[in-house]
Amino acid sequence: MSIAVFGVNHRTAPLEVRERFAHAAREVPGSLGRVLAAGARGGVLLSTCNRTEFYLTEPGDTVPEIVWTLLAERLVEGRGAREFGYAHRDRDAVRHLYRVSSGLDSMLLGESQIQGQVREAWEISKGQAGPVLHRLFQSALLVGARVRSETGLGMGAASAPSAAVALAGKIFNRLAGRSALILGAGDMAELAATCLAAEGVRVTLVANRSYERAQAIAEALGGGARALALDEAWEHFGEADIVLSSTAAPHAVVTWERVASAIARRGDRPLCILDLAVPRDVEPAVGQLENVFLYDVDDLQAVAAQAAAERRTEIPAAERIVSEEVERFWAWYGGLAVVPVLKEVRDRLEQMRAAELERALRRLAHLSAEDREQIEHLSHALLNKFLHRPTIALKEAARSGRGYGLLESLKKLFDLERLDDG
Amino acid sequence: MVLFPHLIALGLYALATALVLVPFSGLRSAPRGLTLGVPLAGVVAHSIGVARLTPFHGVAPTLSLLALFLVALQVVSEGAFRASAVGVFTGPLATGLVGLALLIGIAPEAASAPGAERSPWSILHITVSLLGLALLALAFSAAALYLLQFRELKAKRFGQVFRLFPPLERLDRLNHLALVLGFPTVTLGVLLGFGVRYAGGAHVDAAQVVWGMLTWLVLGWAVGVRVVRHWVGRRAAFASIASFAAVLLVYLALKLSAPGTQRFL
Repeated sequence: MSIAVFGVNHRTAPLEVRERFAHAAREVPGSLGRVLAAGARGGVLLSTCNRTEFYLTEPGDTVPEIVWTLLAERLVEGRGAREFGYAHRDRDAVRHLYRVSSGLDSMLLGESQIQGQVREAWEISKGQAGPVLHRLFQSALLVGARVRSETGLGMGAASAPSAAVALAGKIFNRLAGRSALILGAGDMAELAATCLAAEGVRVTLVANRSYERAQAIAEALGGGARALALDEAWEHFGEADIVLSSTAAPHAVVTWERVASAIARRGDRPLCILDLAVPRDVEPAVGQLENVFLYDVDDLQAVAAQAAAERRTEIPAAERIVSEEVERFWAWYGGLAVVPVLKEVRDRLEQMRAAELERALRRLAHLSAEDREQIEHLSHALLNKFLHRPTIALKEAARSGRGYGLLESLKKLFDLERLDDG
Repeated sequence: MVLFPHLIALGLYALATALVLVPFSGLRSAPRGLTLGVPLAGVVAHSIGVARLTPFHGVAPTLSLLALFLVALQVVSEGAFRASAVGVFTGPLATGLVGLALLIGIAPEAASAPGAERSPWSILHITVSLLGLALLALAFSAAALYLLQFRELKAKRFGQVFRLFPPLERLDRLNHLALVLGFPTVTLGVLLGFGVRYAGGAHVDAAQVVWGMLTWLVLGWAVGVRVVRHWVGRRAAFASIASFAAVLLVYLALKLSAPGTQRFL
């Protein structure tokens, strides 16, 4: 019995390699099928933009080679996949999955999206996972939830778009129902707008130098956003609650002269301006206006970095939970293996007892039926006594998570390796 | 049975204050159940103690009642506005007031001393006035938090204040509500005070009337600019702080110029 993971992630492979290894949901059963056919009992394929990992139970000797070959087929000819990969076995494989599901192994420490991705991988692979991986993935989701609820690993806004939401959330009581104006067509602004929209912010206006591009973004964002030419946008600084700016202009386009009069009309209403462009779109003087809160990319990164630093202090607590849960799973897994091995040992010894008893009784043919019965009883009693202590010890070891090592020894001592082939 | 509940309340208020202040040192915030439950338990213990203090006599019971209102409002702020940071001001203040009351000496038996009886109207006057004062203190706390958070956001400092203080708009609403409720409550308290003293034939010092009216006008101005002129945010916070400062200064001036036992504070 064994569990293994073979895979690549953001630490071991660059993006151009990872994106080739990434599997769409429809590709998962085929790839898993090939690996299982090479000699593994169950498998789950976890594939996200940051990792592609095969979790397997009882993989045969040729399985790793099949995994690396399967992945190498997705690379340009001549490149191997093994150089980007890693393999973990048994406890280390369980620990790896638990660290993944709790966000400890994520590019953005503590991010919660991975929890959904682990669940999705498990659901897609359900037909091929087998009982051990079912249990493993179920427990991985619980470990992820436990880490998030008992530690601060997921606290704060640790990415720039979520920092944008956090900043706006420190100005406005509720973000739901607020209106946002987007200037420019930068990816970052679009990403931040999506994050804000998830909080209920309505993107009402999209302004761009090219009206057609503004219209395309407005349509993509939905929610009835209206497109504007960039020069029409300044007046709307008097109405919007949040302005997201990300134009490709080489100099500041949002100047004090352009927006001061519109902002003055706001009275005491606060305005949050998130300048996500490099070079900056918004003149610093605009941030000096009363009730205007202006933040640029550096500020968002400062907020994100601070949250990330706070999250890092939670790593030891999260690792403790992971270790605890690895032992808990391993105790269950060890217990799972104990029953068939014990039965096999007992059967093997019982056969030996019966054979030796028969041989002895043949030599002691003069004994009465009563004496023969006594000897048979003695042989049973001796066998039970010999097996009693090891049986108890093995069950206790399994309960405490140490059973797996003892089982392996027992199988070697009693030549039970064939159990693994069953 | 007066001292014991007060001691329990003192301990719980001190603990509640610690729970509010500790996260500012970088440690993790306590669960919300604790930040709500500990001061609430203090309020329950304190209420039992205060209930046995009536009719109020001397400064200590009134300090105790003021502390009770402050913490009760802190709990309401946390419950309704998720503004536990209000406890940064109200927590130490309430703990200090209860401690001071205990130091001065809470003596219910003094109430039975000849001439120490207070009429029900007088007790109502004291209670309403203290509630009004506590609401003004809450408005002050919310305004102070607003200005601190505003400064941090403008200066782009993303430290503990940024992390632990509520959003600006929420603090502004809390300030608005406390001020709008506090002003009529204080007004009613003052009117009851005049009524009680005139009905009792007691002389009301002219200075007290003039300065009291002036304070009332300042408070009225702070409420007026909010309600009538729709001030919000920083300007409204400054107005609120100015009005609370006026109340404190006038009280101190009157207390220093004409010390006496007629007033409850």
